[in-house]
Formats: sequence, structure tokens, C-alpha cells
Amino acid sequence: MKKTYAHPEVLVETSWLQDHLNDPTIRIIESNEDPLLYDTGHIPNAVNIDWRADLNDPLIRDYISAEKFAKLCSDKGISPQTICIFYGDKSNWWACYALWVFRLFGHTAVKILNGGRDKWIKEGRPLTKEKPTFPKTEYPVPLRRYDSEIRAFYDEVLRFCKEKKGPLIDVRSPGEYTGELLHMPEYPQEGALRGGHIPGAKSVPWKTAVNEDGTFKSAEELSRIYEQECGISDDKETIVYCRIGERSSHTWFVLTYLLGHKNVKNYDGSWTEWGNRVGAPIER
Amino acid sequence: MEELPKALKDIISTFEVLGEEERREMLIAYSEAAPQFSPKEGESYVLTDVRKDEECTDTVGVYLISDEEGKVNFRIHLGPHVQTLTKAMTSILCQGLSGSLPEQIVNIPSTFISKIVGGELFRVRSQTVYYVLGRMKSACKQLINKKTIENGQVH
Repeated sequence: MKKTYAHPEVLVETSWLQDHLNDPTIRIIESNEDPLLYDTGHIPNAVNIDWRADLNDPLIRDYISAEKFAKLCSDKGISPQTICIFYGDKSNWWACYALWVFRLFGHTAVKILNGGRDKWIKEGRPLTKEKPTFPKTEYPVPLRRYDSEIRAFYDEVLRFCKEKKGPLIDVRSPGEYTGELLHMPEYPQEGALRGGHIPGAKSVPWKTAVNEDGTFKSAEELSRIYEQECGISDDKETIVYCRIGERSSHTWFVLTYLLGHKNVKNYDGSWTEWGNRVGAPIER
Repeated sequence: MEELPKALKDIISTFEVLGEEERREMLIAYSEAAPQFSPKEGESYVLTDVRKDEECTDTVGVYLISDEEGKVNFRIHLGPHVQTLTKAMTSILCQGLSGSLPEQIVNIPSTFISKIVGGELFRVRSQTVYYVLGRMKSACKQLINKKTIENGQVH
């Protein structure tokens, strides 16, 4: 029997979204690397969530407080039941990152627009510069953050690789993995002191999961890449990492939702923490 | 701001009084004006420098036009994947440096860029805002060297 996505409901196609632009049960959220891209034109009724200004604490390398998350949702007209549909540039890197942060705060009604912003534009679908406003909601302050379920920290990753607990997936480019590059291609400012990878990590660049148009590959292809070739399975924990956690959010989404693995964590400290950290072992 | 051309100083002064929302709108307006500074058919250039560098997400082409007094105007081609801020800076610099001498442009410090972009939009992954100025200065240096060699050969 042909393998299908474990949770096909988390993907929406561009045609479906165009038919649901005014659906009151959803909120369309654009999240980009380019901080001005939303302002140049966006999907009608989409709100902007800036991965840095809206989701990251300005002074501590961590996410905003639960109170600020509740206020963010309230301001964007999002209730705990609102289905948040994320999309963005860079094949949905930041859309997946924003989705993952929403999951950290316990918001589970989340979806991704397959193909992201580029596909929507390439298909000639409508864009607007009009910024929508929605009535504020009463979003309760989340009582806990789900760090222990879907997020990995340095000490945990160190134990994980020493004890060979399961697959550790490096989703950066091959040059970053081998240590030939100290930075991501085209981003020389975001370097680390040392190049290489976390001991035992397997290289599976994020791009392996998508087609040319940025849509996700089929369940069969994804299963071959991650389950057959990397040994990812439900009886073992998996940790994914990149440089700051956005590309690995993309792979986390694939493993968690499209392949349905329940024990996948994103190490968002990633190489900017590991490659600069005193005492951290690396492999080249 | 003594060392900056007047047109550039005027643009910087405009940005300095803007609030964050107005600043974003102004940057968008400049980014949308960037195609006006693309190379045009029939123009002749004293220097052409087209390349894809590690620092930028797409190809950037710098084309120099020089008048009888040696003052330069820029034409810049941007690949489709460059960031909006880079497009905005292209437009700002093409306007602000228009009619300057290459010797003046190579000495322009990049410190004014933060006054235009502002703190909110400045982030590690937006550093290409410096890139276009660097490419313009590089083109001017190449032009100065080219003229020096040509003059040396004449004399």
C-alpha cells in the first residue's frame, strides 16, 4: 500500500487557502527571514509574525515569556482554537520555526502552506499591502512551555551523542557539516569559531525534504530519506539541529507531522552555540 | 556627515526623523524604486562589474557611467532573490551618490547606514545592507585604477 503522510491535515495547498481567505476559524501568518518582505505584499488577511522581534526575547537567547506570547496571539486575533496557517520565504524555514515556537507554547492548531510564499506568488495568486486587523481575543497565558517535549538543550545533546541514544541529524549544508565553511553559504556574518559537526551527527540537509518548488516530497520519499537511510523510528529519540534552529524546525516539522514521529526534538541552540562553546567536542 | 554627498545627507536626514512604521514604509518605497536604476539599453558604461558573491543571496551587477568631469552615476542590476533592504539601499545609494567623484565615494564610511535602517531592522541576516555600498566603492576603485593605468600609458 502506498505510504501517505502521517498527518496530511497539517498541510494546506495554495488553492485551498485562496478559497478560505476569509475563513474566521483560521489565521494566516507570514513569517520571513527578510524583515520587510511582508510589507511589500502578502496573502490577503495574513498577519506578520517576525521571528526575532515577535518570538525572541530581546535580551536573553530564548523565546518570549508566556505572557508576551498570549498578548501576541491576542493582538493578532488568535484564540487557542484558531487554526494558524504559517507560510513564508526561504521554503518555509521561518514559517516552520514560528509553528514550532507556537507548539512550544502549547498551541496545537497549526498548519503549513505547502510551497510557501514563493509558490503562492509563482501561481499568480493575490497579494495585498493592506494590513488586516482583527478583534483582540482573550488568549490565556500558557501555564507551561513544552521545552522538554520538542526542544533539546546543550547538556541533553551532549549526553545524547555520548550515549548514542538515537539519530542526530545535521540539516546544514554539506560544507558547514564538514567544517569547510564556518558559516552558512551567503551568510558570512553568522560564523562560528569552529567548523564541523556534533560527534555522531548524520548530514541530511533540510533541502533534501523538498521538491524544486518548495513543496514537501512524498511520504514514500521522506520515509526512504529519514527512516530507511537514517534509522529514524518511534522507539528512539531523534534530535535535529542547524545553525540557529530555523532550518532544523523545517526538518522537525517533516519528521513530526509528515512522518508522524512523536519523539523528535529541535536543538535550537544549534551550531552557533555548539561551535562556539568552550569544551564542546566536535567532529570533522 | 561632512564627508557625505549632499543628496545622501538629505536622504539620511529624512530617515532620522521617522518613526518605525514610517521608516518601513519609506524603505519599501525605495525598494520599489530600485528597478529605475537598472542598466538601460543604449547606455554606455565606463566599468561593468557583475558577480555573485558569498555575501549576497543573488547576483548583483554594478555599471558605472562617467561624465566629462569624471563624476559618476550608477546603474545596478539586482537578482530576484536579494532582500528588500538591499533593494532599498540600492535605490538610496544610486540617488545619494549620483554625480559624486569616484575618489569621494571610495572614502565614504558605512556608518550612516544604521541611521537609515534603524535598530529594529538591523539583524545578523540583514547585513547585506552594507554589501551594495561595498560593491559601489569597489567599482569606483577599479575605475580609479583603470584611469591611473590609462594615464600612465598615455604619458
